[in-house]
Amino acid sequence: MDKILAKKDFPQWLKKLVGSHTVYAPLPEGDIWNYKVVSDSADVNLDFLTTTVPPKGIIFPQREVFLEFQTSSGEKDETIEVKEVLPEDRPVAVFGVRPCDGKSFFLQDKVFGGDFEDPYYWKRRNLTTLVGLACSTPPSPNCFCTSVGGSPHSKEGLDILLTDLGDHYFVESLTPKGDKLIGEAKTLFPQAKPKDKKEAAGIHAEAAKKLSRQIKNLDKVPDKLKGMFDSPFWDEEAMSCLRCGICTYLCPTCHCFDLNDEVASSSPLKGKRVRTWDTCQFPDYSMHSSGHNPRPNKASRLRQRMYHKFRYFVDIHKNYQCTGCGRCVSLCPVGIDIIKVLEKVRDYGS
Amino acid sequence: MAHNVYLPKLAKIISIKEEVAGPRAVKTFRVSFVNGDIFAYRCGQCAMLSVFGKGEAMISISSPPSIKDYLQFSILKMGRVTSALHELDEGDIIGVRGPYGNGFPVEDWKGKNIFFIGGGIGLAPIWSVLQTTLGQKKDYGELTLLYGARTSKDIVFNEELKELKTKMPVHLSIDCSEQGWPEFVGFVAANVLDKKLSPQNAIAITCGPPIMIKTVIKSLKDLHFEDEQIFTTVENKMKCGIGKCGRCNIGLHYVCKDGPVYSWAELKQLPQEY
Amino acid sequence: MTKIEEIKATAKKLLEEGKVKYIIGYEQGTNGWLSNPVFIKKPEDVERFVWDPSCVHNLAKFLVDEKRRKSREKQPDKRPVGVIVKGCDSRAVIVLLQEKFINREDVFLLGVSCEQGGVVDDKKLAKKLGKKNAKKIELGDKDNLIITTEEGKLEFPTTELLAERCLECKANVPLIFDVLVGDKTQRPQDKPFKSLEEIEKLSPEERWNFWREQIEKCVRCYACRSACPMCYCDECVVDSINLAVAPDTSAEEKALKIRWLDKSTEKSENFVYHLVRAIHLAGRCIDCGECERVCPLDIPLRLLNKKLEKEAKLLYDYEVGCDVNQPSLVSSFKDTDPEDFIR
Repeated sequence: MDKILAKKDFPQWLKKLVGSHTVYAPLPEGDIWNYKVVSDSADVNLDFLTTTVPPKGIIFPQREVFLEFQTSSGEKDETIEVKEVLPEDRPVAVFGVRPCDGKSFFLQDKVFGGDFEDPYYWKRRNLTTLVGLACSTPPSPNCFCTSVGGSPHSKEGLDILLTDLGDHYFVESLTPKGDKLIGEAKTLFPQAKPKDKKEAAGIHAEAAKKLSRQIKNLDKVPDKLKGMFDSPFWDEEAMSCLRCGICTYLCPTCHCFDLNDEVASSSPLKGKRVRTWDTCQFPDYSMHSSGHNPRPNKASRLRQRMYHKFRYFVDIHKNYQCTGCGRCVSLCPVGIDIIKVLEKVRDYGS
Repeated sequence: MAHNVYLPKLAKIISIKEEVAGPRAVKTFRVSFVNGDIFAYRCGQCAMLSVFGKGEAMISISSPPSIKDYLQFSILKMGRVTSALHELDEGDIIGVRGPYGNGFPVEDWKGKNIFFIGGGIGLAPIWSVLQTTLGQKKDYGELTLLYGARTSKDIVFNEELKELKTKMPVHLSIDCSEQGWPEFVGFVAANVLDKKLSPQNAIAITCGPPIMIKTVIKSLKDLHFEDEQIFTTVENKMKCGIGKCGRCNIGLHYVCKDGPVYSWAELKQLPQEY
Repeated sequence: MTKIEEIKATAKKLLEEGKVKYIIGYEQGTNGWLSNPVFIKKPEDVERFVWDPSCVHNLAKFLVDEKRRKSREKQPDKRPVGVIVKGCDSRAVIVLLQEKFINREDVFLLGVSCEQGGVVDDKKLAKKLGKKNAKKIELGDKDNLIITTEEGKLEFPTTELLAERCLECKANVPLIFDVLVGDKTQRPQDKPFKSLEEIEKLSPEERWNFWREQIEKCVRCYACRSACPMCYCDECVVDSINLAVAPDTSAEEKALKIRWLDKSTEKSENFVYHLVRAIHLAGRCIDCGECERVCPLDIPLRLLNKKLEKEAKLLYDYEVGCDVNQPSLVSSFKDTDPEDFIR
């Protein structure tokens, strides 16, 4: 059943949730916005464009403890005690998730599921309700969601979708988790009228036309990439790359990580095994212990990023591993523009 | 919730054998689980060994699946984790999780002759499939081992090789001549050509340092082996072992999950970055 | 001739005569940034060059890349690399020369001085424009800048849009160059180290809280390190793997390499990273501001490095990156250096 939520009632909804849920919403941090835990619901309004760090950081955090280990004296002799550290049981609600970021969860689910399920990701994922916010205008001058199979009102990966209708939101619940979250403040949600639904549909349709950047015929790219592996094209494109980690860390669909043991004391041994974000753009990412590095230069690493997102992932999961949020374009320090690179790939050799 | 894939099972080291001393030290470890039986696995699969406080390393299981009492790993001292493993004593506890990888397709090889071609530490990944096929000798054709190392002191599994010679042809080699060395002198690839291995109804498995694999494959092609008849294992930096962290990604594959065993035909399809 | 025409003409001549391998300059960006670094090899491509107050990047960074690339080639092209340098960039080149990281004959410097005395700070610009986006920046004649957005043109006084560091800039005209293109323009300099005034007023405890809040945001993307021309070490203190590993490096050496900090973004690790980097840049940072510009989380990193630049001036009377014949601060001493820490 579609519902309506008056904007003035929005803080009330949050207030009802803050006691039992960890509530995240986009909050200003200086001149940028980021998802932060909400303590005072009065601070929150969804009047933001886009966040710098995508919400993947809530379900797949930058740093996560997997296990704790320490030496312990057993009955016979010294042994090591290893304990897993799962995320806490408290439910989480994330507000203001743009449809591109919502779709990123749909794609990340494929990575962290499959033959081996990642228990840390799934525990958080199952406890989290994602409340999306449809885009009436493109949040970034570099948005291109429609070119990669997304849209400003896409529902994939989300549990609830809100559409801004001026002084109220049109509320669509998409999953049982969404129903439950709305149910926590039932009285704030009157039934939607047909005109509300029509207005929302109108906004959705208009929004798709406002995107200033698009890539036509992106579907030609995966095949084109097949023949370009050894091309000097990649050297040209990667000339100005600084090999930082911005494009990958702030990409909502990138998922590479590192596992390290962090030792608090060596004797007796006490420490943690920790997962942190990692990036294929760092030179030491693929380096073997022997010193051999299969991707020794920037060109091969940029190529890996493009291939992984627009060829390998497409072959395995039938989706581009990109949601068109535009963060990598806006934030790359030297302006390496993924849209331009894809267009050049598409037109290569013709 | 099902068992946590990242949580290693505790295993006790029940024996350590020093195979090679010096800068390229190799030790063979046998471990058994503290709680419960060892997991079922196929030849060619690997396990992630944890030295708590140092990290993890993906090592191929060299004991055949028919042995249920322990898992055997032969480890070359190369970096952080492997050096830490070499410092351990019998009775010490490590973590083991697995089995990971695709394993050798031994069922497809029934009735064929199999050439096992190893170099240096590369004998370890081959050992489990060699012992398994030897144990079911009547199901397979002729089994032959060609194994070489830099010097006679770098040869691993010395005792086991002596015993193996009584059961099947074993051709050893070392790179440079030494006084008293009775067998072939030269690179393993040259030994392959010298022994004129026949591709007729045959499979060749080769493991070892990358340069050795390249030259051996070339020798096998010179002897007219088809791409589908040649198998090898690919090494890549690994962290999670389950195809999620992205590190071992080559083309459409994650080596930890879809490999490490590849036929030369399959390997040629992958982008050449390993 | 306007500066950009002179830049293009000079560049074209250099490439036609084969005097340089390629020239690093600025070209028009896509929607992301207004201008980007570009590498021009062919004389006819010089038309791609642009020059306006959005040319912020410190191109000296790419000289570090060039050195790495050359060291990997078997028969490298020994011709110099041409690079367009602003005043601040020229100071970066001076530091690289002082430290003998590059040789003078490896670079050909096209010095350009900033019209209206500086470059635009994109964050200041974004604040002024609100939700509108800048498409073009042009110079006005009344010490102002004309910004073209999708809704038309807007004018702002230059001082409101210039980067903080430009207002304190001592080197409007490049301090080292092979060719100086265009006129020398100057801007009256603000008080030196003015940007530190606000933070220096705070008590140590307030400063600690300020930095704690800022450093907590860091995601350790290392963009600050990657953008800095002076961070050229192959073996950086923060990397857990020694990049200088060769096939004959012993296992002991690899095993014993100390992990000075963990990859985790714990407060302690973040602090160690930023403070160690600041100390390693003491007496070497020339305040190009790139670290702060590239940081996606808006951490005011310039302040850390600027403070150490001030210390270098106060304690040792040392001006960073001014004279190529002067030795670098950390590898020299004078008899007049303070000795009050020796008891």
